[in-house]
Amino acid sequence: MTEPKIARRTFLRGAGTVMALPLLEAMVPLTALAQSVKKEKPLRMAFFFVPNGIHMPAWTPEADGTLTKLPSILEPLEKVKSSLTVMTGLTQHNAFALGDGGGDHARSTAAFLTGCHPRKTDGADIKAGISADQLAAQRIGSRTRFPSLELGCERGGQNGNCDSGYSCAYSSNIAWRAENQPVAKEIDPRLVFERLFGTGDERESVETRHKRETYQQSILDFVLEDASKLKRQLGVHDQTKLDEYFTGVREIEQRLTSLERGQLVSKLPGGTKPTGVPSDFGEHLRLLEDMLLLAFQTDQTRIATFMIANDGSNRAYNAIGVPEGHHDMSHHGHDPVKQEKVRQINRFHMTQFAYFLEKMQGIKELDGTMLDNSMIVYGAGISDGDRHNHDDLPVLLAGRGGGAIKAGRHVTYPNNTPMTNLFLSMLDRMGVHAETLGDSTGRLQQLI
Amino acid sequence: MKSRYSTPRPRFAAHAGAARTSALLLTLALPAGLILYAAAAPAHRPSARKSAAKAVKSAKVPKPAAAAPFSASMGPLIQKYCIGCHTAPNAAAGLALDSFKDSAGVLKEQELWQRVQKNVDSRHMPPASAPQPTDLERHAMSAWIDQMFKVASCDLRDPGRVTIRRLNRQEYNNTVRDLCGVDIHPADKFPSDDVGYGFDNIGDVLSLSPLLMEKYLAAAELVARAAVIAPEDSALAVTYDPAKFADSIGGTVLPTGGRQQTGDGEMSFQMEAARDGDYNFSISAAQDEAGPDPAHMIVRIDGEQIMKFDVRNRVRNPRAYTLPVRLKAGTHKVGIAYDNDFFDQNAPAGKRDRNLYVFSVEAHGPPGLPVTLPASHRRIVFVQPDPSAPDVAARKIMGEFARRAYRRPVTPAEVQRLVSYVGLARKQGESFERGIQLGMEAVLVNPNFLFRMELDSHPNDPGSHRVLGGYELATRLSYFLWSSMPDDELFRLAANGTLKDPAVLAAQVKRMLKDPRAHSLADNFAGQWLQLRNLATVSPDRARFPDFDDTLRAAMKSETEMFFEAIVQEDRSILDFIDGKFTYLNEPLARHYGIEGVTGEKFRRVVLTGSQRSGILTQASVLTVTSNPTRTSPVKRGKWVLEQMLADPPPPPPPNVPTLPDDKKGPVEGTLRHRLEEHRKNPICASCHMRMDPLGFGLENFDAVGRWRTQDGGSDIDSSGVLPSGQSFKGPGELKQILRTKKTQFATCLAQKLLTYGLGRGLESYDKCVIADVVKTTARSDYRFSALITAIVESDPFRKRRGDGGTL
Repeated sequence: MTEPKIARRTFLRGAGTVMALPLLEAMVPLTALAQSVKKEKPLRMAFFFVPNGIHMPAWTPEADGTLTKLPSILEPLEKVKSSLTVMTGLTQHNAFALGDGGGDHARSTAAFLTGCHPRKTDGADIKAGISADQLAAQRIGSRTRFPSLELGCERGGQNGNCDSGYSCAYSSNIAWRAENQPVAKEIDPRLVFERLFGTGDERESVETRHKRETYQQSILDFVLEDASKLKRQLGVHDQTKLDEYFTGVREIEQRLTSLERGQLVSKLPGGTKPTGVPSDFGEHLRLLEDMLLLAFQTDQTRIATFMIANDGSNRAYNAIGVPEGHHDMSHHGHDPVKQEKVRQINRFHMTQFAYFLEKMQGIKELDGTMLDNSMIVYGAGISDGDRHNHDDLPVLLAGRGGGAIKAGRHVTYPNNTPMTNLFLSMLDRMGVHAETLGDSTGRLQQLI
Repeated sequence: MKSRYSTPRPRFAAHAGAARTSALLLTLALPAGLILYAAAAPAHRPSARKSAAKAVKSAKVPKPAAAAPFSASMGPLIQKYCIGCHTAPNAAAGLALDSFKDSAGVLKEQELWQRVQKNVDSRHMPPASAPQPTDLERHAMSAWIDQMFKVASCDLRDPGRVTIRRLNRQEYNNTVRDLCGVDIHPADKFPSDDVGYGFDNIGDVLSLSPLLMEKYLAAAELVARAAVIAPEDSALAVTYDPAKFADSIGGTVLPTGGRQQTGDGEMSFQMEAARDGDYNFSISAAQDEAGPDPAHMIVRIDGEQIMKFDVRNRVRNPRAYTLPVRLKAGTHKVGIAYDNDFFDQNAPAGKRDRNLYVFSVEAHGPPGLPVTLPASHRRIVFVQPDPSAPDVAARKIMGEFARRAYRRPVTPAEVQRLVSYVGLARKQGESFERGIQLGMEAVLVNPNFLFRMELDSHPNDPGSHRVLGGYELATRLSYFLWSSMPDDELFRLAANGTLKDPAVLAAQVKRMLKDPRAHSLADNFAGQWLQLRNLATVSPDRARFPDFDDTLRAAMKSETEMFFEAIVQEDRSILDFIDGKFTYLNEPLARHYGIEGVTGEKFRRVVLTGSQRSGILTQASVLTVTSNPTRTSPVKRGKWVLEQMLADPPPPPPPNVPTLPDDKKGPVEGTLRHRLEEHRKNPICASCHMRMDPLGFGLENFDAVGRWRTQDGGSDIDSSGVLPSGQSFKGPGELKQILRTKKTQFATCLAQKLLTYGLGRGLESYDKCVIADVVKTTARSDYRFSALITAIVESDPFRKRRGDGGTL
């Protein structure tokens, strides 16, 4: 192969480091670098979040042990059934009010991956905790071009139903870099694509690209110096903002340096570049999933979060005959008609998730499929949308974690088992050791 | 090749389009920093009740700065409503109120008690599941805390402290537009800004993720290269479309682009030659054949004929006619005409009328240089470098750019560092202009640009108060009213120190409100205050509301924005928001409202006499965003009125929504109103719903997309209601009459929202006096909008700041 399919700059912007060479068959390392390819087996971890609880009677499998007949909401996963672990009894205790009154939607979102009780505030001093994905990103994220990806279908706070007394930062972010720093998500598939693969100016020469990088490096040095000068004259709250600035600049610097270390050519594994946010919600979800798949395939990241919608979302699902708002229906008051609509919405989300898992299962890697080498959590921070309870949460784990998870089962844990225990066990498998996370009490048993 | 700057957009034409999709939420006027907890019923002791009653009495006639003793006032109320949960050692939220025995103890814990006050004021506490204090008792508790800390006396003004504010998406787009002269909206690709206190410009909540940093870097390059043209990446040709030749005489525009000349006259355009040199024009033209001769196409530059072509080809086969011209740098008029019109009625069809067609004009510049330079380039690169000492020009250029970008004077050292980019570019073999672009990029990703810095010498000393400097004040003003940087006039007043003068400040407010940039108040402030931004995502059920489409969606938003702008521009009373008897409609919206006589897509002002509609509350936008997709929600509408108009937010629902007893037997039957009335029979729900629901009932004549109706599901609409005050009304008209009497409450609400938006922080207890003063001042000026804005701008929190006292 003499002529790369993607322009040089494009692939460079999209390239991982040598250490993190992907295992994709479509990836063709430059000859000069081919020798340095390490046969490392990347393990991926992602967290899918759905809002407003689940119609649990149609979620929970009847018996423990090997999954046989899947309940209605899980049915779309039939083809990947043997890769699933459905878990019953996990709890986010810190999503409960604990004296803070209303606001379960905000709390359940902020607690979902942090296991922390978010501070009730509409703005000043927002505080939750570091999330499982960000903990991993900080420890091992430097192995790939992007430490983590944050995706979602709804912009922050746009539905006006951010929860009483809680800043919208809580109900629209599950990834938290630090206890006071939620990580913004990207909702436009096209922008995700451009981030991964560049805007694709094929005419740009190596020389031009090199100049551009020299300039960027210089500009980053320049602004870091200016930022340092400001420090003395800023108060403690200003400091945290400036710290975010420093972190951002350093992360980009790191990426520029890592580019110098290795180069590889990747053929885009099929598909065309998305053009924006589609009006059809299902298509939007699937396109974003495609982007995540591409990011995994090209090993640009191994860690991701994916918010199917923000909690409290009152989206109407006309395409499946549910014109009422999701949140409105989730307060079903035991009305079977409303419960049925919630079930339909739940199943619709699951169908889109199945699309993602089936694609992962179809991607062969050196050792099994991509799904085998992944751990994908799917769940909600609320169990019953009418009661707003945060115990007995709907949670499932897809993938075998590279062989470290015995899948194809339904496991019931004692109710009130911290969900963070599951995250600690997943982090172990990612090679990230953490003593505790949020309200964790230990590792989750029976995963293997 | 089409130039990216051949058709410059009007400066402000599109600024409103920036990032309309940002966040928005239901907000509480006062935040809850700490939450008290009282899930169980507290102990009731007769003696406590007695003294509580006494406390209420004493609070009725508050004596400034002389609070009643703890044991006679606050103590019993705490005992009655709080101690049940807030008792050591297992006090809820770690807050033990039982340890307070006297006023001296309270005085030592100001912060704690102000948090108590916030929660009592905002009705977060006691939780709805616990017995509720009466409004009088609540007021007594709050007033006592005010008196305790001498807040109510208003003699110890705390201006508060605003955390440095990152430009949000709208502000970034607008600032780049005003700073660089390019209206390209790069921030539309940025992630959403999080929302706090109802707005997306709150310093504490605006975070900066690595993703955003990455976008800043890309945007800086994009902006610098759009604004300033470097030879190495400039477009070498510019194409002009004759359809857009505004100065033409005679002729007609062709629907497919291009222009037809049918006789005398001339089509012409202005071109900007960047430099002296040889230019080349390529004119795509054709003729209608008639008579013996071909069309004689004449090209004139600055009125002087320089070339005549014989155009023989016909329209279906256009040809390019080229000519070289030597031009001086500057503006030139290029004219194209033909001088041999021919018309013969008796000639065979298709041979009667000779006409000239010009489809496009392409100009090529001297080798390696762009044809023309955009206005943005000429403004930023306002001096040409002397090749032997380019740094002299670079210093002027970067000094001016950085001063405007940082919104303050810059030091020679700062400028010198920026000038070094010209050297860096040279070292890479690139042009002076490239160096300028790089310097601009370094400015555009600089924290001094991205954040609105207000630097202190004692940043962490809360006792250190100071008046803002002129530049800081100019910046606060411009971002408040324009969501953008200060203009030259504000900079001038900042520099000469006169902006702080109250008369100058007031005059500037008036000037700024008249400026087109004040449209951002409608876009960003009203968009969030009235929750218009939610219109973008509502999805009314198509089966029930087949008329709702994107045209109507856009019209609803325009109506309310134009109504808001009318109040701003005409400096009307803010009470018109409640029941102003006019609005703006186009045909689709007028049809939706059942109002006749409005035709066409264009909006016009319509007087509303005898209509059920008036003010914002009965505009389709507000009615739609407060509805569910399939039905109205009197609860949401009532909550909206309490929160957005009356500054009286209901407390949040209890964490575990209690199930109605009837629900166990199945869903409750009956009309929505009937079901809500059932809901209110539950005492836990009643205390709040009796405040929300009646307000919503009064609007039940408007369906979920704001259409007038008299029936719902076969039953007649009952739009009467009784407010907790005992006032009753029938229908939206009477409801608005009642609201109209709540002038102070409405003005307080709007003042709170504007101050929050203007400051970029949540309001604190010490802001109460400011709000009260602002409302009084506004009332004295007949509630005029500019009076409200001026009072806010002249208030201490807007003009002053203090050190940070907080810990993290």
